Amino acid sequence: MLAIAIVFLPLAGALIAGFFGRKIGDRAADLVTSIPVAFSAVFAWINLWQVALLGHVVTVPLFTWMDVGLFKVMWALRDDQLTAVMLFAVTTVSALVHIYSIGYMHEDPHRPRFMAYLSLFTFAMLMLVTADNFLQLYFGWEGVGLMSYLLIGFWYDRPSANAAAIKAFVVNRIGDFGFGLGIMGVFLIFHTISFSPVFAAAPGFAGKSFVFLGYHVDILDTLTLLLFLGAVGKSAQLPLHTWLPDAMEGPTPVSALIHAATMVTAGVFMVARLSPMFEYAPFTLEVVTVVGATTCFFAATIGLVQNDIKRVIAYSTCSQLGYMFFAAGVSAYPVAVFHLVTHAFFKALLFLGSGSVIHAMSGEQDMRKMGGLARRIKFTYVMMWIGSLALAGIPFFAGYYSKDAILEAAFGAGTSVGNYAYAMGAFTALLTAFYSWRLIFLTFHGKPRADHHVMEHVHESPMVMKVPLFGLALGATFAGMIFAGPMISGHWAAFWGHSLVVLPTHTALANLETLPLWAKLLPLGGALLGIVIAWQMYIGQPGIAPALAKSQETLYKFLLNKWYFDEIYDFLLVNPAKWLGRFLWKRGDGQVIDAFGPDGVATSTRILARRAGALESGYVYHYAFAMLIGVVFLMSLYFYAVGV
Amino acid sequence: MIVPALGHLSAALPEIFLALSALVLLVLGAFLGDKATRPVATLSLIALVVAFVLVLLGPDSTTVGFSGLFITGRFAVFLNALILIGSAISLIIALDYFRLQGTERFEFPILVLLATTGMMMMVTANDLIALFISLELQSLALYVMAAFERDSIRATEAGLKYFVLGALASGLLLYGCSLIYGFSGTTNFGHLAAVVSGGPVSIGLLLGIVFLVAGLAFKISAVPFHMWAPDVYEGAPTPVTAFFSASPKIAAFALFIRVMMGPFGHVAIEWRQIIILISLASMFLGAFAAINQRNIKRMMAYSSIGHMGYALIGLAAGSVEGVRGVLIYLAIYLPMTLGAFTVILLMRRKTGPTENIDDLAGLSQQHPLVALVMAIFMFSLAGVPPLAGFFGKFYVFMAAIDAHLYTLAILGVLSSVVGAYYYLRIVKVMYFDAASEPLAGPITRKMAAVLLCTGVFTLFFFANPAPLLNSAHAAALALLH
Amino acid sequence: MPDLLREYLPILIFLVIAVALAGIVILASYIVARQNPETEKLSAYECGFAPFDNARRQFDVRFYLVAILFIIFDLEVAFLFPWAITLGKIGLFGFLSMMAFLGVLTIGFIYEWKKGALEWE
Repeated sequence: MLAIAIVFLPLAGALIAGFFGRKIGDRAADLVTSIPVAFSAVFAWINLWQVALLGHVVTVPLFTWMDVGLFKVMWALRDDQLTAVMLFAVTTVSALVHIYSIGYMHEDPHRPRFMAYLSLFTFAMLMLVTADNFLQLYFGWEGVGLMSYLLIGFWYDRPSANAAAIKAFVVNRIGDFGFGLGIMGVFLIFHTISFSPVFAAAPGFAGKSFVFLGYHVDILDTLTLLLFLGAVGKSAQLPLHTWLPDAMEGPTPVSALIHAATMVTAGVFMVARLSPMFEYAPFTLEVVTVVGATTCFFAATIGLVQNDIKRVIAYSTCSQLGYMFFAAGVSAYPVAVFHLVTHAFFKALLFLGSGSVIHAMSGEQDMRKMGGLARRIKFTYVMMWIGSLALAGIPFFAGYYSKDAILEAAFGAGTSVGNYAYAMGAFTALLTAFYSWRLIFLTFHGKPRADHHVMEHVHESPMVMKVPLFGLALGATFAGMIFAGPMISGHWAAFWGHSLVVLPTHTALANLETLPLWAKLLPLGGALLGIVIAWQMYIGQPGIAPALAKSQETLYKFLLNKWYFDEIYDFLLVNPAKWLGRFLWKRGDGQVIDAFGPDGVATSTRILARRAGALESGYVYHYAFAMLIGVVFLMSLYFYAVGV
Repeated sequence: MIVPALGHLSAALPEIFLALSALVLLVLGAFLGDKATRPVATLSLIALVVAFVLVLLGPDSTTVGFSGLFITGRFAVFLNALILIGSAISLIIALDYFRLQGTERFEFPILVLLATTGMMMMVTANDLIALFISLELQSLALYVMAAFERDSIRATEAGLKYFVLGALASGLLLYGCSLIYGFSGTTNFGHLAAVVSGGPVSIGLLLGIVFLVAGLAFKISAVPFHMWAPDVYEGAPTPVTAFFSASPKIAAFALFIRVMMGPFGHVAIEWRQIIILISLASMFLGAFAAINQRNIKRMMAYSSIGHMGYALIGLAAGSVEGVRGVLIYLAIYLPMTLGAFTVILLMRRKTGPTENIDDLAGLSQQHPLVALVMAIFMFSLAGVPPLAGFFGKFYVFMAAIDAHLYTLAILGVLSSVVGAYYYLRIVKVMYFDAASEPLAGPITRKMAAVLLCTGVFTLFFFANPAPLLNSAHAAALALLH
Repeated sequence: MPDLLREYLPILIFLVIAVALAGIVILASYIVARQNPETEKLSAYECGFAPFDNARRQFDVRFYLVAILFIIFDLEVAFLFPWAITLGKIGLFGFLSMMAFLGVLTIGFIYEWKKGALEWE
């Protein structure tokens, strides 16, 4: 029952605000969306208590969705430990973002629409995490995709926002296509798409293969790879990451909710949810690890040189998601989900904090035009510090527990891909710390680079924005301490129950306690080093950074242009696709199909109509003649038919 | 001898009552003169209502009477009820129109009664003689009605054209009847059925059927015997046109079904081709020729030609489902078309009634409700779900598919796509074009009531279609078994 | 055969007398009457308007009214003969049927009378 309330309260708020937003007014729309989500969050905490600590795992059937032959799909809410944790993270962050939005979007004329979208997005995400079968998962999956499209393009009068929205949607579709194929494949192999029977049957298919185009292909590897393609798209991993930075065109609360805390984590959640399948697909796990580790490093390098405050954080998200994936890839699912939770808090905090900065700077997002804000907006400054400390993994902040555990798990896996992931991850820890403090130093320290006019207007955000920041800061500070014990320590199996499956042969988690000391301390050392370098470059000797950029221009450009991924895609895919589209439109559609199809038919209809109308001459003898001709014709038809 | 005769009389009670009412009212009108106009109209309406009640109280089982000339039963009850509803609604809207025009005459309601009597006799005809007599009774009344506004050149032209061509059609029909009689030796439908099913059918008899079909096709204005329809629809006074497009079509169709499925049901394979051809030609001509029309009455003429084509699909199927489909089609077509004509009757300028489609421009601003109802009728005539017109088409197409007439069904759907164009054009004109001069016709309470009833039926038919489906099914079964 | 012919003998006699009588009357008029021919007298008799003329001209519709009324009652009489002959066989039902028919006809007659269709001016 609790699960139903958690999932459907946001939907109710969204419907009211969406359909009656104009009637009930902005203020009412704020309340009618925020309050249900807040209640959802409270219920989710109670739910986490009941499910994770007391073990009340339930599945709440709602009603039958489809029943066609073998294909039977239910709407049902699966409320196990994994779901409870996700519900907790999603609703909590969502509730805080809702409240924050009341302040942040205060000036926007379309606030009810925005609030309705936010709530609807939350609903879609909740459907996703409570799914009991692949199709419902897909429903939520597409739901968050759709809502992210609408939210990124919320300011629909900006061309760049529209372009970003389309880009997000299209890139996601590539992943979704794989995901859809995966689901079909699951039905083909298992004859059902409900989780429980599929999970029960998965071990039986381990190592089995089918013949495809003459090759023997491993069944589970294929299915999980297809499904993972969906995760790559949704969670912005290489090579489908390009939409995430562009998605920063949306309002900042959207970035915080969708592109940091919830939607992008759907891929990680999906891999964790399907751990009973992934565990039997060793090749897929290796792919997951490599993709995650590579993305983690790659995104961090780009983050080093970006100038847009939100883009830095966006690449940081990309990078952190990479951490989660390679944790899942080495079968440390609990650690991946744990990092997901802590990351949700501190990344939302960073985004909302940057939103507060942007708010203070009258909409300016370029860090080169900031600086010296620390004294003017002290609260935000502190919040950004907390977020960065958590992100960099400085001890006793949330990120420290989760990120270190991930790196240790990768090291502990003892495999070659695990070692690769460890190396990448450890180096990325340095990069992460560097770009985080680069952001802080550029934004808050040094001399103000904004013009006089803007600086006069710099002001701290209102209370309605500060409170969520504070709430998230609490999470970013303490979530790690609180949850590290139950979630990833030796008792993790007791906490997660049957919701996560790890094969005994995958020893990454088991080895956590027995790692060499240097492996544990290396990431921390890297992080501290990163902070020092950042201080040196931007506070100590500010001249270093431009000089370095000049001396290593090729590398700098390469990073600044995001490894030229967009350009390569444009050249390889977008432009040919546009050319093909234009060809089919002008030539294929316009000159062939339209000419012979609709236009041709319409023209000939017109001609026929004129002819048919002209039959009516007005003379009685013409009419009588037509009748007689008709009779004669019918008679001759008769003779012909009868064959006389 | 008198005893069985009384039995026949009771079965034919509605027809007899209607005929007697017409005679009494005629005398009344003749003696009272102009003073009688209103009372005669009211009494005629009451007579139609009483006849309707009598029809519903009539025998449920199939009863043959008058030495085999007459047959009644569920089939007849169903269609007679429809005809009476159509006549009554036509009369209601006609009276207001003639009052506004100042051309009220007491003969008009009596002509409606006489025509209706003829139509009911067509439905209950069980003999070629009865067929011809009833057809002529109905037709003669209609010829007069077409020319009822005798000071209008267009109306007299329409009446004359209708009469001349009608006479030609009657001649063809009569020729067919005589051929059939000559080659079978009987005029009774029952005996004819026995002859036809008895053995090989002579070519002369089949030719007789062709002529008979030609005569009947004229009455339902099916291509190529449709030529009168556009001119007569346009020329005749609008309420008369409304009447033409409603009850007589149903009666003629009833006769058509009765003749083809009854005596000649066993040679369905022989005449099916002809019906299919007529049906296709009607559907396509109705769809195409209507596109360029500017006069809405003329457009409705083509529309009714097209609709008869769709209904003929059911006859071509030649099964219980097919007949049921036709009956449903007619039952749905009747209120739709009468409703549409009621709106056309409302089209008035200061100078008098107007008939141009362009005059409907801006109706949605002046009379939003009327425009809405008209839009409903147009969408329904075009066959857009979930309006009633869709179901009419649906059941005949289903019957055609069940009878493996795939080509016919597909072509029918295609032609309805073309047809949708001119129906939707009216909606477009009403809602998107700016009005030049407002339509100033008063909406009388009666017309509003008619619009309400027909509109509600068309809009909400889908909510409870079962009664109509069931009674149509029972009627079809009664005809074929 | 002779029997058959004998039955037709009265008709033959009737024919002969009729032809003879007609011949005698025409012959008598030639012999007895004064002959003074003129165009109007030589033209065929037609009720009201010229027999040979352009068809497209106006004429009084009452001529047709009278003619149609005549045909109706003429047919009625033609209908009455066979009915009268077989009245014994068709009995009361037949009698009443004809009465109904005559009644309808009478009502029509009353209508046209009241409408003034029978008055020339």
